[in-house]
Amino acid sequence: MAADQVSTGTRAVESVRTTVGSLVSPASERQREIRRIVALCLPFSVLLLFSGVFPLTEMFRISFSESRLVTEGFTVEYYRAMVTDPYYRNIAFNTLWFAAATTVTSIAVAVPVAHALEKYALPAKSVILTVLSFPNSLPGIVAAFMIIILFGNTGILSNVFAFLSGQSRIDVAIATSVGGLFFAYIYSMIPRALLLLRGTYAEVNTDAEEAARVLGATPLQTFRYVTLPQIKPGLIGASILVFRTGLAIFGTVLILKGLLVWTLQIDRELAQGFNIAQASAMATVWFVFVFGFTVLMLRYTSAEVSI
Amino acid sequence: MSGRFREGSLSARFGRQFVTLVLALTLFFLAVPVVMTFVSSFASDWFGVFPTGFVTLGNWEDVIVGTGVGADVSVGSSLAYSTGLALGGVVINLIVGVPIAYAVARYEFWGRDWVNVFAILPLAPGIILGVAFLRTYPDLSTSGIALIIGYSLLKAPYMVMAVQSSFQSMDLQQIEESARSLGASWPRTFLTVIVPNARTGIIAGSIISWTLAAAEFNFSYIVYSRGTPPLAIFLFNNITNASFLNAAAAVSVFFLLIALVTIALQIIGNRGAVRRI
Repeated sequence: MAADQVSTGTRAVESVRTTVGSLVSPASERQREIRRIVALCLPFSVLLLFSGVFPLTEMFRISFSESRLVTEGFTVEYYRAMVTDPYYRNIAFNTLWFAAATTVTSIAVAVPVAHALEKYALPAKSVILTVLSFPNSLPGIVAAFMIIILFGNTGILSNVFAFLSGQSRIDVAIATSVGGLFFAYIYSMIPRALLLLRGTYAEVNTDAEEAARVLGATPLQTFRYVTLPQIKPGLIGASILVFRTGLAIFGTVLILKGLLVWTLQIDRELAQGFNIAQASAMATVWFVFVFGFTVLMLRYTSAEVSI
Repeated sequence: MSGRFREGSLSARFGRQFVTLVLALTLFFLAVPVVMTFVSSFASDWFGVFPTGFVTLGNWEDVIVGTGVGADVSVGSSLAYSTGLALGGVVINLIVGVPIAYAVARYEFWGRDWVNVFAILPLAPGIILGVAFLRTYPDLSTSGIALIIGYSLLKAPYMVMAVQSSFQSMDLQQIEESARSLGASWPRTFLTVIVPNARTGIIAGSIISWTLAAAEFNFSYIVYSRGTPPLAIFLFNNITNASFLNAAAAVSVFFLLIALVTIALQIIGNRGAVRRI
């Protein structure tokens, strides 16, 4: 057993030595190619290490620290707080159901829109495409402002609802409620979902759809039994990415407030007394959850991620 | 003839109308607030159903010149500062993004798919990376260097994707072998033959990652401590503290910036990138 380990160890050391040697002075064309690949990947790896891996590791370390400002000792106090304190459990629950609900809604809206863009002859199609992709480059705070324009106290839709219901505008303005936040989320998420789904829709086999229609299927049946199975991998992939986006939204909530979600609480930990250890613990939980979720979903579903 | 296709079913009768209605509502939802923001930024007040008191440039003047009250700054200094920071991010993105995009597009190697996933999926979103930076590089946050490094990591995926789409339309192996057989060394081939041929993707990637870096709020908000606020923080201060129509003007400045970028991307002819941004 021990001898085995020693020999594996020496073999590993030996293989590392030959790898490094072949990188420094390659002997064959294959080794030269490997050296090129390493050289091409090196700058990105350095950036990833210094601005990604190292800061995230430091964040992970201080989340177990006994002292609030420097990494010292070991405690799971901050994690225990998140598990036992109903306050944090409630925030986690809010974050998850809200992101899930907005994801489902955005995908449900994006599928018919992508369908119309792909199949129908639409007037001014390039204008439509510009309008649909414009919000992708807007930060969350601007999306929040858009919702204030629509649903705020003088909002366009607030006026419409006030007119229809006969109530005062202030009473029907929902911008800073959960409903307003819901619309703000889907304002950022629909264009993102659409971007992903249009790529999927472009690859759908239209011959099969036409055959189904000729054989007497209704449009809905054609969609259900012919189109949907074809776009399913893209649909799952889009849902995963949009769900991730929804969990990461922060600027929007910071302005509209509506609901206390995980990212907003991270900011509050920092703003109220600079509790960086607790904020780091929350950020770590977020990171581990989303990372694990993405890996599991990509591994165990037929999801196709094409950005 | 159409009678054969069971026109009587609900989806045949109303399916198309329903889908078109969803499209129309989505367009309304996405476009109307943008238009209203821009229009109302020229109004003097908005208390009734519609903004009134057209046309005034007062709101724009407050944003562009600055109100001079308290710590309120004009958009010019924020825009200039963000331009610089985002440009720094773009330079880093070029150095790290172009080579890795080439490696993935040109070579087959072990772990290539994972390299690709790491290059095109953002590792962590702005707020998480912000907390990590606050802990790890507290001294850098006042100088803007932390912002530049963070922007470059957050926006690298967009550069990689844009450059990759350029590489995918080229016969890389043939180009590389032609240059090599004519006597160029491999580094020279890469720098003087491959990279110039991918310039459309490189320019598009630079413009996209520049815009998204200038617009990055979550990371800037956590890391920024004092000094000139970046553009996104300037927008935030306007939305939360300034009068409603001043905020509309500040957001409109940002819209104009995005419009310019979209036009620039259309001129260089990268249509795919236009939709991606």
